[in-house]
Amino acid sequence: MTRQQPEPQAAVTLRGIVKRYPGVLANDHVDLTVADGEIHALMGENGAGKSTLMSILYGLSQPDDGEIELGGRPVTFSSAAQAIDAGIGMVQQGFALFDTLSVTDNVVFGAEPTRRGLLDRRAARAAVAELVERHGLRVRPTDRVGDLPVGVRQQVEILKLLYRRARVLILDEPTAVLTPAETERLFDVLRGLAADGHTILFVSHKLHEVLSLSDNVTVLRDGRVTMRSATADTDRAALAAAMTGRDVELDKIYPPGTPGEVVLAAHGLTIGGPGKPVLADVSLEVRAGEVVGIAGVAGNGQTELVAAIAGLRDLDAGTVTVGGVDLRGLSVRARRAAGLAHVPEDRAEVGSAPRARLADNLAVGFQRRLARRGFLAPKAIRAHSAAIVEQYDVRAAGPDAPMRTLSGGNQQKAILGREMAHDAPVLLVEQPTRGVDIGAVVNIHRRLVEYRDAGHAVLLVSAELSEIRALADRVLVMYEGRVVAELTKDEATYEALGLAMAGGAS
Amino acid sequence: MIDAALFSSALGALTPILFAALAGALCQRAGVFNISLEGTMLVGAFAGVAGSWYTGSVWLGVLTAVLAGTAYSVILAVAHVSLGGDAIVLGVAINLLAVGLTSFLIRTVFGTRGTFSDPALRGLESVHIPGIADIPFVGEVLSGHSVLVYASWLAVVLLAVLLYRHPWGLRLRGIGERPEAAASLGVSVTRYRYGVILAGGALCGLAGAQLALGNVTLFSENMTAGRGWIAVVAVMLGRALPYGVLAAAVLFGLAEAFGFRLQGIGLPQQATDAAPYVVTLLALFVSSARIRRSRTREST
Amino acid sequence: MRTVGVTLLAALVLGAVLLAATGANPLDAYWAIVTGAFGPDGIQDTLAYAVPVVGMAVALAIPLRAGMVNLGGEGQLVLGAISAIAVGLHTSGVLGIVAALVAGTLAGALYAAVAAVCETRLGVPLLVTTLLLSYPAMSLAAYLVRFPMRDAGSSLPQSEQLPPDVRLPAMGTGVTVGLFLIVAAVAVYAVVDARTPAGFETRVTGWGPRFAQYAGIDRPALTVRLLACSGGLAGLVGAVVVLGFPYRFIDGALITPQYTWIGLLAALLAAANPLGTLVAAVFFAALTSGGFAMERATQVPRELTAVLQAVLIIFLAAATGLLRKRRSPA
Repeated sequence: MTRQQPEPQAAVTLRGIVKRYPGVLANDHVDLTVADGEIHALMGENGAGKSTLMSILYGLSQPDDGEIELGGRPVTFSSAAQAIDAGIGMVQQGFALFDTLSVTDNVVFGAEPTRRGLLDRRAARAAVAELVERHGLRVRPTDRVGDLPVGVRQQVEILKLLYRRARVLILDEPTAVLTPAETERLFDVLRGLAADGHTILFVSHKLHEVLSLSDNVTVLRDGRVTMRSATADTDRAALAAAMTGRDVELDKIYPPGTPGEVVLAAHGLTIGGPGKPVLADVSLEVRAGEVVGIAGVAGNGQTELVAAIAGLRDLDAGTVTVGGVDLRGLSVRARRAAGLAHVPEDRAEVGSAPRARLADNLAVGFQRRLARRGFLAPKAIRAHSAAIVEQYDVRAAGPDAPMRTLSGGNQQKAILGREMAHDAPVLLVEQPTRGVDIGAVVNIHRRLVEYRDAGHAVLLVSAELSEIRALADRVLVMYEGRVVAELTKDEATYEALGLAMAGGAS
Repeated sequence: MIDAALFSSALGALTPILFAALAGALCQRAGVFNISLEGTMLVGAFAGVAGSWYTGSVWLGVLTAVLAGTAYSVILAVAHVSLGGDAIVLGVAINLLAVGLTSFLIRTVFGTRGTFSDPALRGLESVHIPGIADIPFVGEVLSGHSVLVYASWLAVVLLAVLLYRHPWGLRLRGIGERPEAAASLGVSVTRYRYGVILAGGALCGLAGAQLALGNVTLFSENMTAGRGWIAVVAVMLGRALPYGVLAAAVLFGLAEAFGFRLQGIGLPQQATDAAPYVVTLLALFVSSARIRRSRTREST
Repeated sequence: MRTVGVTLLAALVLGAVLLAATGANPLDAYWAIVTGAFGPDGIQDTLAYAVPVVGMAVALAIPLRAGMVNLGGEGQLVLGAISAIAVGLHTSGVLGIVAALVAGTLAGALYAAVAAVCETRLGVPLLVTTLLLSYPAMSLAAYLVRFPMRDAGSSLPQSEQLPPDVRLPAMGTGVTVGLFLIVAAVAVYAVVDARTPAGFETRVTGWGPRFAQYAGIDRPALTVRLLACSGGLAGLVGAVVVLGFPYRFIDGALITPQYTWIGLLAALLAAANPLGTLVAAVFFAALTSGGFAMERATQVPRELTAVLQAVLIIFLAAATGLLRKRRSPA
């Protein structure tokens, strides 16, 4: 794929950016230069400072020191509105869309065309249609955003930037929620925009995507720039080393387990939806000593599947048994007693209480066990907490430290430790390493494999294909509420998985 | 039993609740849970009476009520939007402050306790609409109210237009749904939330003015008597939609007016006092049941 | 702690401004409040006022600990009181006292449980059901005390007086042994909250309802249990009050002193923490009681203390919000 060499004139220059938060130096004298029409990747682990840097460029926060220049002219932004006026647009992780409003309303929000003081809906629709046409996007202006699939929602986000005449587009982890096919479509759109002269800043931690899309790459670690290179001049190993500071064994694949009896069995699980069903006749089995991975982009029913098994959601049809016990009608507590443990996707809202102490977080689920004669025993609670902290290498100021003061990786280790402490025959795990730094990722993966090898059954849901490939003995791929493929460890290549995740069609 | 006078008195009675509920709905749309309607209405009522008394003009009294309501709502705006204080704690405290403050002031300013009333105090006059007033039944219902009653209907329409046809309304709805998303598009969440709270304060001021200068012409300690709380319920029942809130307020007004009628046939006053609340509760049950049936049951 | 001190000072300054604007001397007024609340005569009044306020504060703190707001305290309080009178008028002796107290507690508990079930089964928010049910309860009591249970010898809306042997023994003026019952209730709450699995599960629910559900805590059952305890304690408070002087149910006598709303403020302020709720409730009670004394001594309207309390809460809520904002990184 050849492209014009970008003009040697800086569209964006960040010089000496410093940003401090209580306890951490998020950006440590960071320099970044991007030219017109260039696609520039910004890489780093979680907590490396990439999002902070982009927030500063987008005006959402102000640097403690350093300068920003656009096209050679120094600028300061005290709000996103000013950055938008200067031609900078950002698509944040998780998107910033209003589900209850239409595509058009979302795109023109904050910059609405008006006629005699009231909204000019027709002009708005026309403007959006024109942009859709010009850039080859697949969006209908009148659709309600909440009804749209993720890939289309992302295109709405890009439309928002184009409507405001952004010349510099920042995309923060844009492919986290896309199938491989959607990712390629996005990359085509971005290449087209770059060819038009737009400048693209692409924040990612995915090595193969950065190598495939970008012209140049800057790597951050612990707030500092550790590498600056033309993409053509570097490779995955060098990038990974720059991100983590050590040689990382890429794409580690753990040896398979030795499966025994079926412990978790689900048949015909169905949840109807307003349109397409949320779950359509899903069946699966997990044996003791086995990890079954569920691959698939978020939004294809994986979350609902786990919720239904855990008892957090009702099924319209189907049965679930754990160790032969039918879970139908059983409460969450009863299901846990029957042998389920669960590490949920949402750490902050579902898996923990950020405001409460670490020791209290670890005691949840054990409160009856840690009681003597009806009263909680503080010593027992501390001992229980200390054991988990020790065994799972949870770094925290102490058992009384509020959960939210722990890093993402340590929080996840703590939650994993708590759930594994139940020694439950079945462990449901969702996105175990989302937002977790690489050191903790390795740690968590090892623990999951150990748990499996101790004879437990593990159901792993992950959007990270490398994680699925590393851990799963068998892989099920979900698409639009159905299991569309079942692959063995050997069959689960990136290509095969990618194909299945897109519904079988590329 | 059911005649024009019933509906007429219902209309007059529900106006304060309607104004307050519109205030609450507006705030709710922008994501502000405003339960200080009761206190702000009370402040508006006192200010209205004080204004009318001191200037001799009922319209200056209404203006005073609106200004007082707006000024009083600054407390919630600053403490909640700028400083991040909890909306429920602040709401309860602001309501209590209003009771204490107005009772304190009725003593120090008017020198009485309990109720302040005076024959010289100018109240709102009933408006006789020529043409409409002559229509049988409908005329008796619609004509003869104070100007504020008609203004409240206009306010419903204005709110609907604002929310759905004006850019500010679009931004408010976005802010209410996802404030961070609105902020990332350069829309100042703080400024819009201040706006709805202050506008709400003005509406509550009008509610207080109707209460103390329209239905009656006096100020009595704690005279809002729970209407602000009913307005909160009306916002919930009407799902913060302008016409929904109107329907909820009408329901409550009718239940109250009907209650008074039942007194006439011998039911004790206390039973009819309770009737509006019971009716509203039943309406909420029905409305909730319908919502739950149409939504697939999920607990995540 | 420093925050509380600063906001208290700010509230006092604001109150002084208000006083000065109405021509009174702030220092005289404040001094009168202090001596009124804690002086040899005042302390009895303060205690008498504190008992129901503390009781209601704890009653409302119980569900608040799980993040549930019971706005129907007044209705539960009144139902408890009228039930206690209804039973007490037809019994005698210590057994009668106990029966009356139990009746009051049960009435409040059942009524609150009804509101809870409305939320768990019918999906109407607790905040609304408790609030809406409060008014009919007060109306019922108002009716009963004007018709079936009216004191024949009086034209006022009040019940007959309880016979001399169905009264709580007094300890000074205005305070009865009911004080110990309320103190015991606070102690039980503190222990259950901090040291039992049930209290732990309540706190977990307060930290995060989704977290609690995920962990297997049965929210509907918890809601009904907590509300029953809450309404029960509120009913007990009502019973304790009417079993003291003047030993009858007078319409409005439990509403006008604002026990419930001041108690709610104390519970909200302390985030339902047992000790904090107790301290806040006692403080507010002292302030209010001192206000009455202040009015007698200086002619400054007693509502000033209500204003001071409300201003203090507003400042504290704002300060807490500000602290929370500053502590979390962007």
